[in-house]
Amino acid sequence: MGRVGLMSLIVTGLLGAIAVSFWFVQIVHGESYRELAENNRLRKLPMEAPRGLIHDRHGRLMVENIPSYNLLVDRSRTQDLGRSLRFAAEVLRRPLPELQALLESYRAVPEFKPVLLAESLTLSEVARIGVAGLEYPELEVEVRHLRLYRHGEQTAHVMGYLAEASEAEIAASQGALRPGDLVGKKGIEQTYDAQLRGRDGERVVVVDSHGRPLEEFGRSRAVAGQDMTLAIDLDLQQEAVRWFQGPEGVGSVVALDPRNGEILAMVSAPAYNPNLFARRLRKGEWQALLDAPNLPLTNRAIQNTFSPGSVFKIVMLTAGLTEKVVHEKHRVFCTGATVVYGRRFRCWKPGGHGWVDARGAMKHSCDVYFYHLGKALGIERIARYARMFGLESVTGIDLSGEKQGLVPDPAWSLRARKAKWYPGETISVAIGQGPVLMTPMQMAVMTAMVANGGRPVTPHLVKGAKPRTRPDVPLDRHALEVVREGLWAVVNQPGGTAHWSAYIAGLDMAGKTGTVQVVAQSARTKNENLPFRFRDHAWFSSFAPLRDPRLVVVVFAEHGGGGSRTAAPIGKAVHEKHFASALERLAVR
Amino acid sequence: MRSISRPLSSASPFAEERPPLKALSSLDGGLLMATLLLAAIGLATVHSASSELALDYLPRQAMWVAAGLVLMVVAMSIDYHVLLDFSLGFYLVGIAGLVLVLFFGVERGGAKSWFEVGPGQIQPSEFAKLATALFLARFLAGLNRRVLDLPQIAGAIGLVLLPMVLVVVEPDMGGAALFVPLLAGMLLIAGVHVRLLAAATLVVLVLGTAVWSFGMQDYQRQRVITFLQPESDPLGAGYQVRQSKIAVGSGELAGKGYLQGTQSQLRFLPARHTDFILAVLAEEWGFLGVATVLGFYGLYIVSAARVAQRARDRAGILVVVGLLSVFCFHVLYNSAMVVGLLPITGIPLPFLSYGGSFTLYNFLATGIILGVDLRRYVNR
Repeated sequence: MGRVGLMSLIVTGLLGAIAVSFWFVQIVHGESYRELAENNRLRKLPMEAPRGLIHDRHGRLMVENIPSYNLLVDRSRTQDLGRSLRFAAEVLRRPLPELQALLESYRAVPEFKPVLLAESLTLSEVARIGVAGLEYPELEVEVRHLRLYRHGEQTAHVMGYLAEASEAEIAASQGALRPGDLVGKKGIEQTYDAQLRGRDGERVVVVDSHGRPLEEFGRSRAVAGQDMTLAIDLDLQQEAVRWFQGPEGVGSVVALDPRNGEILAMVSAPAYNPNLFARRLRKGEWQALLDAPNLPLTNRAIQNTFSPGSVFKIVMLTAGLTEKVVHEKHRVFCTGATVVYGRRFRCWKPGGHGWVDARGAMKHSCDVYFYHLGKALGIERIARYARMFGLESVTGIDLSGEKQGLVPDPAWSLRARKAKWYPGETISVAIGQGPVLMTPMQMAVMTAMVANGGRPVTPHLVKGAKPRTRPDVPLDRHALEVVREGLWAVVNQPGGTAHWSAYIAGLDMAGKTGTVQVVAQSARTKNENLPFRFRDHAWFSSFAPLRDPRLVVVVFAEHGGGGSRTAAPIGKAVHEKHFASALERLAVR
Repeated sequence: MRSISRPLSSASPFAEERPPLKALSSLDGGLLMATLLLAAIGLATVHSASSELALDYLPRQAMWVAAGLVLMVVAMSIDYHVLLDFSLGFYLVGIAGLVLVLFFGVERGGAKSWFEVGPGQIQPSEFAKLATALFLARFLAGLNRRVLDLPQIAGAIGLVLLPMVLVVVEPDMGGAALFVPLLAGMLLIAGVHVRLLAAATLVVLVLGTAVWSFGMQDYQRQRVITFLQPESDPLGAGYQVRQSKIAVGSGELAGKGYLQGTQSQLRFLPARHTDFILAVLAEEWGFLGVATVLGFYGLYIVSAARVAQRARDRAGILVVVGLLSVFCFHVLYNSAMVVGLLPITGIPLPFLSYGGSFTLYNFLATGIILGVDLRRYVNR
């Protein structure tokens, strides 16, 4: 077939002609193209999309972006790198060897890629470098947005922080992230990263041999990230933070709306300063955060679990009344101790409470009453009600890393401890000691369920977020009513455990104190005389007003001492702040 | 239509006998070598082109090449007469795929030409190309005439036009254009007067130029240009050509070295792991690298042409010529586009460009060509 041969000849001829074209472009005109490539006549300049701003529920700005000037050096365009470095060191007032060492660390980066020499230049430094731009074309000043958290540590665990995207995050983003991009690593910044981030744009400009833009070749727009409004009330947040200062200010406060789960305040102390992360962390700074006492990077509201202490009596009484194990009028006589399962259990009040019924047991937090109730209910039923109140599930808050609590029962004991459940442990669990554990956020949801009649709200930080709701829990309405009245008496009746420290005239606040022993101790040792790390944990969980509850406040003071002494006044202060205007109106009248 | 696996010289007394597989030593070494070397060069260049992207495409492309090699061996071991017997089925499946992709396909770069299948994507037009080549070969081989008459030519054109129009609708102009060399190459071999073909080409050219120059307003021309370039790069085609030429030119004689291409590594070059992969290679390996690669393409083309020339029957010649024509068009157009001679269209470079369906297609086509060569001896 002659035709096939002819065709192959023509094609190879064309292939040869194309090879000749490459010869022309690469060999004949190669030098001029090389020059073009070296000068990067067309440069792509990224246009950073501003990240969304974050406001509190009243529209007050909490997180914004401020411009920051960075000094870059393009090593491929230098005539005398040493001279430029001396100049930079002089302008920045930094030792020359430090800059040289920094540059040395960029060895592996291709020469034509500008590398970062210094961050957060002052305007006068920017001006000096700009003036000397012709002399040192390899020095470039880049403007970037820097995240500014106006309230620093106060909102650290709400906001989280930004850091360079990890390789895994880049791979998962399907092209939305590039190496070096900043992404939210914790808090709101992480959960709502996609909305906050926006989309970077790009400008292509023709530049002269010094890299200065001459004209624009084309551009794609940057799309700003979405602004967000949080449910957080800045006043409430700051009021709660105020109580956790100094080295012994360790703990957590959660305030939420029991009607819809909106979080009005979430504090975990100690905290870190998220503004540290806005610029690249120096090695020492990160290590210092990791080594700091009391784990400032941990969000105690959702990431640490603790024994609930006497607050657990809310679960106990609800279970007892719903299961009709005990009648609300049934009375128990407390002598200060009782014997159950052949072992003596002491009430917290050595002299005893005398006759107490359901409301009175709650009001006085009488341990003896709940020892008997615990024995009557049995661990299986206690565990079932604890689960109903959400102790064994996460609350579903819009933050990552949430932990769930622990509801102990015989099956758990065999599985986790490889040991049999002892009946005596049931008695400990009855007053919230022993292995039962929960997070402050779980306690807030539990308290909200008491307040709203059994509806497990999903706590959330972003206002208007529509979180997945869980079905209502079948709790006896009258039982909850009795529990609520007991909790009201705790704060509002003389003799209630929190009456002396949390009573607010004009506000029907209901609450429960809890004190968790950290080490076994004789009843006579005063907490204040113990070293900090051996002191008791203090809880106070509350809601107000009694009819139509609108605010739940949970206070956890780690090694704070007694619940009524340390935690209750904080809860009182937060309620007062929230209902301040209503209370004022009342006072005027 | 009668079965193709019956020899066309139906006078043969050994009509039902299939030609046995000759020893593998009769495989065309040049063709095989060019294929394997080009694929290897492709893997290295894909890595370099995508090393600065969020995703390195090397592992995926390596997977495609491995799958392609398997398919090549499978295609090689099946008698091409059997493939031709099934070609009507292939053709119909190909058409169905092209129709379905218009409804269920995912849009990428403005064209609906991909099926989303699990984690990957399939481009049905690659399969349709192969199926059309096989079916057209069967159609033309069955005619068995020295010179085709007009209705026969019209039939062949219609057969190619159907899938081509479906690809135009997606719209994927580059993909559609590839059906033209397929038709032209096979018609030429099947027996068309060169005068007729030349006349047709001339008429189209003159008419097209006339309409373009006198019959259209500026904005209409712009629309056609935009239509022909569906890659909606916000920075326009001018930017791409310019960046590609800078990349190629600055490579000079010996290149800047592997992974050292500033144009490619700095992301100046668009689509650099697919349509513009040759520019990456040119920048990093210089003219020597380009000449080597073009040499391997030349070797592939000359070897495949030799396979066609010594093929056992008309059907074999037609199959090889059809597939080879498409291959040549890919190579010529893409390399001319990268060096700035032709406008930019999405026509990738065989074995070098990243792409799943496209890589599989090339290995399949090579396997079929090798299969024709293995069965070149008429066994008597």
